[in-house]
Amino acid sequence: MEERYAIEMRGICKNFGRVAANKNVSLNVKPGEILALLGENGSGKTTLMNMLSGIYKPDSGTILVNGQETVIHSPEDAKRLGIGMVHQHFKLVDVFSAADNIWLGDEHSGPLLKKNRCDVIRQMAQKFGFDIDPQKKVYNMAVSEKQTLEIIKVLYYGAKIIILDEPTAVLTVQEIDKLFAVLRRMKAEGHAIIIITHKLNEVLEISDRVAIMRRGESIGTVDTAQATEQLLTERMVGRKVTLNIDCPTVEKTRPLLEIRDLTIRNDEGATAIDHVSFYIRGGEILGVAGIAGCGQKELCEAIAGLRPIETGMMIHKGDNIVGLSPKAILEKGISMSFIPEDRLGMGLAPSLSITDNMLLKNYGETKGPFVDRKSGRAAAEQVIQELEIVTPSTETPVRRLSGGNVQKVLLGREIKSGPNVLITAYPVRGLDIHSSYAIYDILNRQKKDGVGILFVGEDLDVMMGLCDKILVLCHGKVMGVVHAHKTTKEELGLMMTGALDLSSKYADKPAGIARDSRIEEVEP
Amino acid sequence: MRQQPLLRVVKRDRAGLPVQAAAYLTAILAAVLTGAVLLLIQGVDPLDFYGQMFTLAIPGSRYPWRMVENYIKLFVPLLIVSLALALAFKMRFWNIGGEGQFIIGALCASAAAMKLGEQLPQPVMLLVMSLCGLCGGGLYGVFAAGLKVKWGTNETLLTLMLNYLALYLLQFFAETKAPWNLFLDTASARPKFARFPDSAQMLLVPIGPFRLNLSLVAAGLLCAALFVYLKYAKGGYEIAVVGDSPSTARYAGMRVGRIVLRTIFLSAALIGLAGAFYVSTAGILSASVTNDVGWTGVVVAWLAKLNTLGIVATSALITVLQYGCQTASTSYPAIDANFANLLQGVILFLVLAADFFVRFRIVVRGRNGKEDSK
Repeated sequence: MEERYAIEMRGICKNFGRVAANKNVSLNVKPGEILALLGENGSGKTTLMNMLSGIYKPDSGTILVNGQETVIHSPEDAKRLGIGMVHQHFKLVDVFSAADNIWLGDEHSGPLLKKNRCDVIRQMAQKFGFDIDPQKKVYNMAVSEKQTLEIIKVLYYGAKIIILDEPTAVLTVQEIDKLFAVLRRMKAEGHAIIIITHKLNEVLEISDRVAIMRRGESIGTVDTAQATEQLLTERMVGRKVTLNIDCPTVEKTRPLLEIRDLTIRNDEGATAIDHVSFYIRGGEILGVAGIAGCGQKELCEAIAGLRPIETGMMIHKGDNIVGLSPKAILEKGISMSFIPEDRLGMGLAPSLSITDNMLLKNYGETKGPFVDRKSGRAAAEQVIQELEIVTPSTETPVRRLSGGNVQKVLLGREIKSGPNVLITAYPVRGLDIHSSYAIYDILNRQKKDGVGILFVGEDLDVMMGLCDKILVLCHGKVMGVVHAHKTTKEELGLMMTGALDLSSKYADKPAGIARDSRIEEVEP
Repeated sequence: MRQQPLLRVVKRDRAGLPVQAAAYLTAILAAVLTGAVLLLIQGVDPLDFYGQMFTLAIPGSRYPWRMVENYIKLFVPLLIVSLALALAFKMRFWNIGGEGQFIIGALCASAAAMKLGEQLPQPVMLLVMSLCGLCGGGLYGVFAAGLKVKWGTNETLLTLMLNYLALYLLQFFAETKAPWNLFLDTASARPKFARFPDSAQMLLVPIGPFRLNLSLVAAGLLCAALFVYLKYAKGGYEIAVVGDSPSTARYAGMRVGRIVLRTIFLSAALIGLAGAFYVSTAGILSASVTNDVGWTGVVVAWLAKLNTLGIVATSALITVLQYGCQTASTSYPAIDANFANLLQGVILFLVLAADFFVRFRIVVRGRNGKEDSK
């Protein structure tokens, strides 16, 4: 029984056109084991897992499930074989209740919505130690609840092999701890678990073994007990790297951008940002931490002039920018780059070439009726070279690039426009360590040049390393502004969930209002 | 053990030009063969029929140049409408109101012709008619675009409905005998469209016995202008960005509403212009003035993948089909012009199938795969 694997993949190859996504990859997991799958963006992790869950079929190679050679034709096959995958983007029907979402995909449930379905599912959730309300609608759920629901769904269908694709990307520290407790319990019950994540500390914490992939090939497996972050990164990237986020000290200027008492509504008309005040100085990176959906997007859009504000002031270098058009705000040197979940939604035109995307914000500046593609191509070449973007040519449509390269194109264009305030939301979303560090370097270079940077992020470790100060939002309210190097992850986590409010810690200096404010200069 | 399926679909890289050309040619050939079978069933010799059809029955004709003139009459409206529709489609604005915009353009041009035809010299009159067609069609299209920009209405439904509004308006003018109805022939007791005054007839440049329709020259110039506009001009760039991602366009500081209005005005105005050209060439308004170009144009634009040069080629081919079939069917009573529509449908289906083979390939389960898996 020693050598009996829950999953064994041997010599798997998968090509997409001329691109080899997986080359001769082998991988195995035992029951009662947590295997972490590690690799840079585009190294073929998700492709490999999609072949296990029946979404793709391998071009060649064998998959053995519980020692039996199998061909997985479809997700239904995978389900029957006891393989369940929790995708990065949840696959739930928003208007259905938790119970119905599970009931819907179960072949044994028949065509009727039985009355006792909620009880059946509640009992089963309790058996695994989950706390969930089966009648709650998905659109009312927090991100962590949705994820729990996905896991319950997979378990309900009888999965013994569970694949999680970047499950921690959207969770807070406390929620991650909870998730890991669940994973450990499932492991104790003999489930085999494969977890994809970019965060090395999580890999070291939760996994038993680590399988590493690089450019579609498996590099090997390491026992977690013998691994360090340094070792894992080197094997993943293929060369020595230093793993320190710099936070250079730069002389700060008077506030560049001041936000005072800002209130914004979201698309549904609810208050997204609630009387928020903060300021950014030149030569400083201000982090914005908060659970997904606590108003970050609305805040970024408002500053860029894309969303009307309810009340409040936005003062840039002593000028009021409230009510200005997006174009006028761009011309003031405020650049906003927001990486949404799909990475392409805002900021880039996916079907257009890199050249055309470079021209997006300044094509109108040249004289005459024609677009100056020559300068665009020059800009594209420069950005490609400086940020080491991997692309066949400057004329490649952006949507054909891998995630990391797409983000570099976006950030490269923003920096090239020479902004004095750089607002960047999730610039390293879904990026591997190597690309992430490249982006931190870019931001630090901007900071040294005296640019004021607002960094909306998800990874608290990174924010504590990179930022000077961190502003914490919870349900659109400021919970306080803390010094990045003096705070702890626990403190930030508590503030993010609203359990700790430091916004009026100092009576003489409310959080987010500068002593040397320039707002008084503009007031009539 | 479960086996690999016998056939499976594999995505391929962008196929090269030869493969694409071969795929589309095969599709057209297969459509022609299908048509041949249908002709045989009806007892028509396909070789002879196709021979006449693809040569437009020019060989052996007593007036070969007349055939070419008639061909151009049909080709120009289809070409301009397809180009104009492609402009809107590039912006992902589903303008299927070509019929309506064409009718309104034709009506406006006819009104100008009937009202001012006696006073103005021919070149000025033609210019006035073109302008009327442009504005009429353009405003009719902008109405739907404006509602979309302002209240987010669905442009597909709206432009579709406006087609019928225009069509019934035209029928109303065709059937209502009244002193104010300037479109009708006053001499006739029954309602009947009047011929335009001579100065409102399209200019024909004689080249030997052949008389070149000036609207062909205008269409050629339009083609070149649109090609440059879409590829190099700022306006074309904005259309591409708005079509690709409106939120990105807004983010880049573009005034999306204004760009949509401008582009749809241009698209609909060109369709109106085509209407003006058509009535001026025919010299008379008719109840079936559009000849379905508003619909055929949609097919042409998609078959050509919105590519300007592709549209020229495709609309030329479709017109050969339609006009060739019409001329060839005169010698075969069993066949009528509907056969052209049928053949067009078959071609469309098969080209879509060819498209599939350009993007994917089918892999048969082979021995290699099995040996590998051992």
